[in-house]
Amino acid sequence: MLSKLRKSNPLFQIFLWGYAIVSVYPLIWMVFYSLKDNNEIFVTNPFGFPTQLRFENYVSAISEFNVPQYFLNSVLVTVVTIVGTISLAVMFAYSAARLRWKGKTFAQMYVVIGMFVPVQVVMIPLAILVRDFNLTNTYASLIIPYIAFNLSFSTMVFFGFFRTIPNELEESACLDGANIYQTFFKIMLPLVKPSIATMVIFVFLAAWNEYPIALMLISDEALKTLPLGLQFFQGQFTTDWGAMGAAMTIASLPTVLIYILFSEQVEKAMTVGSAVKG
Amino acid sequence: MNKFLGNKTAILLFTLPTILLFSVIVMWPTLQVFYRSLYDWNGLTEGTFIGLDNYKRLFEDRLFYTSLKNGIIFAAVIAVLQIGIGTVLALTISNKMVRGRKFLRISYFIPVVLSVTVVCQLWLAMYNGEYGLINKVFEALGISYRQDWLSNGDTAIYAVAVVNAWQNMGYHFALLLAAANSIPEQYLEAAKIDGAEKWKAHWKVTIPLMSETYKFCLVLAITGGLNAFANMQIMTGGGPGTDTYTLTYMMYRSAFRVGEYGYGTTAAAFLIIECLIVTFAINRLVARERIVY
Repeated sequence: MLSKLRKSNPLFQIFLWGYAIVSVYPLIWMVFYSLKDNNEIFVTNPFGFPTQLRFENYVSAISEFNVPQYFLNSVLVTVVTIVGTISLAVMFAYSAARLRWKGKTFAQMYVVIGMFVPVQVVMIPLAILVRDFNLTNTYASLIIPYIAFNLSFSTMVFFGFFRTIPNELEESACLDGANIYQTFFKIMLPLVKPSIATMVIFVFLAAWNEYPIALMLISDEALKTLPLGLQFFQGQFTTDWGAMGAAMTIASLPTVLIYILFSEQVEKAMTVGSAVKG
Repeated sequence: MNKFLGNKTAILLFTLPTILLFSVIVMWPTLQVFYRSLYDWNGLTEGTFIGLDNYKRLFEDRLFYTSLKNGIIFAAVIAVLQIGIGTVLALTISNKMVRGRKFLRISYFIPVVLSVTVVCQLWLAMYNGEYGLINKVFEALGISYRQDWLSNGDTAIYAVAVVNAWQNMGYHFALLLAAANSIPEQYLEAAKIDGAEKWKAHWKVTIPLMSETYKFCLVLAITGGLNAFANMQIMTGGGPGTDTYTLTYMMYRSAFRVGEYGYGTTAAAFLIIECLIVTFAINRLVARERIVY
C-alpha cells in the first residue's frame, strides 16, 4: 500500500530532469562557448562540446580587458565587507541578546527594519550622502554601504543564536573572575562559530554579486568590481563571444565553486531568514 | 551578575558602531526619500519646497503608469513561475525515492549564486536574434520562429522577467523544500491511508502546512518584482522606447540622467509605500490562521 504511494509519477520525474536541463544547460552552453571561436558558436557547433579547446579566449579576456583588476577589486571589497559585517553584527547581537540595558529590544527591532529597505530605493539619497562625505569613487564608498545593508540580517541571525545559549555560562565565567570581554571572546565567540560560518557565506555571496550600489557610486575603471565591469561587455565583445564567455566564467567561478563544495551550508545560509521576514 | 552584564563601556562598545552605521547609511537615506520627494531638487543646491507637486506630476506622468504596469507584470511573472515551478519540484523531490536528488538540488540552485550581470549577459546571448541559443533551438527543431525577443515592445518585459525567474527559482525551491521536509511524514501518510491521491494529499495537507513559507515567497517575489532594476539596466536600458521601465528604473533615470533628484525620490517614495501595502496585504490575506504542528 505505502510502497505504491511512495512511487513517484513518471511525469513528475520527467519534469524534475527537464527543469534541471533548463536550469543548468545555459551555464554549460556558456562554458562551452567560452572555448569556441565565433564560427563554431554561430554556425558549425552551437550546442555541443567544443571541437577544439580554445583557451586563448581566456588569455584575451585576461590580457586585453580589465578582468584581473575587476577580480582583485571584488576580492578586496568582499573580504573587508565580510570581516566588517560579521564583527559588528556579532558584537551588537551579543549586546542586544545577553547584556542588560534599557531599550535593547527596541534597538534590535530598529536594526531589523533594514531588511525591508531595498537598496535600489534609497539610491538617490545614498549617492548624495557618499558625495557629501567625499567618498565617491573610493573602495570605502562600496564597503561602508555593503556592511550597513548586511547588518540587519546578520544581527538577526546572531541574535537568534545567542538567545539559545544558557545563562549559566556567563554566570560561571563571572564567578571565575573573567571580565565581560574575556567572556565574549573566549566563551561566546567559539559557541557561535557555526552561525558565523553561515553568515560568512551569505555576506560573501551578497557582496561578490552586488550590482546597484556599485553602478551608482563607481565610475572609475580602476575601482570597478566584476558585476559592474562585466555589464559593458556585451558592447565591447559583440564580435568576440568566446572572450565574453571566458570573462563571465571567470567571474562566476568563486561563487559556483563555494556552492558546489558547501552546497548544504550555502542553501542554509540563503534560506535562514525565511522564518522571520515576511 | 547585574554589574557584570550591565557593563556600560562594553554595551556602548558593542552596540554603538552598528547603530551609528545603520542609522547613517540605511535609515537616514530612507527618511530622506520621503523628505526630498517634497522638493524641487537637483541634487546640488538646497532645493525648494514644493509640497505635493511632485506627486501630482507623478500621477499625471504616462511613464509612471507604464512603469507601474511593468512592475506588476514583472512581479506576477516571477511569482507564478518561481513559486509554481518551485512547488512542483520541491514536493516531487521531497519524496525520498527519487534518484539523483543531490544532483537535482544543485542544478536548481546554481543560478542563484551567480551575479545578476553574468545572468543578464548570458541571457542577452541566449535571446540574440541571430545566434542566440533559443533561436538556435527553434532552428534545430525545424520551427521557423526566429525572434528578437528583447526588441519587441510587447514581449520585452516578459522576456526580462523570465530571466529573473530563471535565476531565482532555485531560491524559492530551496525554501519550499525545507518547509516540505519539516512536515512530519505521518500527516501525508494519514491522508493517503484515507484514500486520497498523492497530489490531492499534497494539495489538502502539505501545501496548507507550508503557508508561512508561501507567505514569505510571495512577499519576496512580489516586492522583488516591483523593485526590479538590474535586469532592465543591463539588458534593455528600459527599452525598446520605454517598454521595460519600472519605478526603480524611472527613479534612476530621473536622478542620474536627467538630474531631477526630487522627482526621482517621489517615485521611490511611492514604491516604498506600495511594497509596504503589498507586504501587509499578503500577511493579512494569505492563511490568516497560523498553523501549528
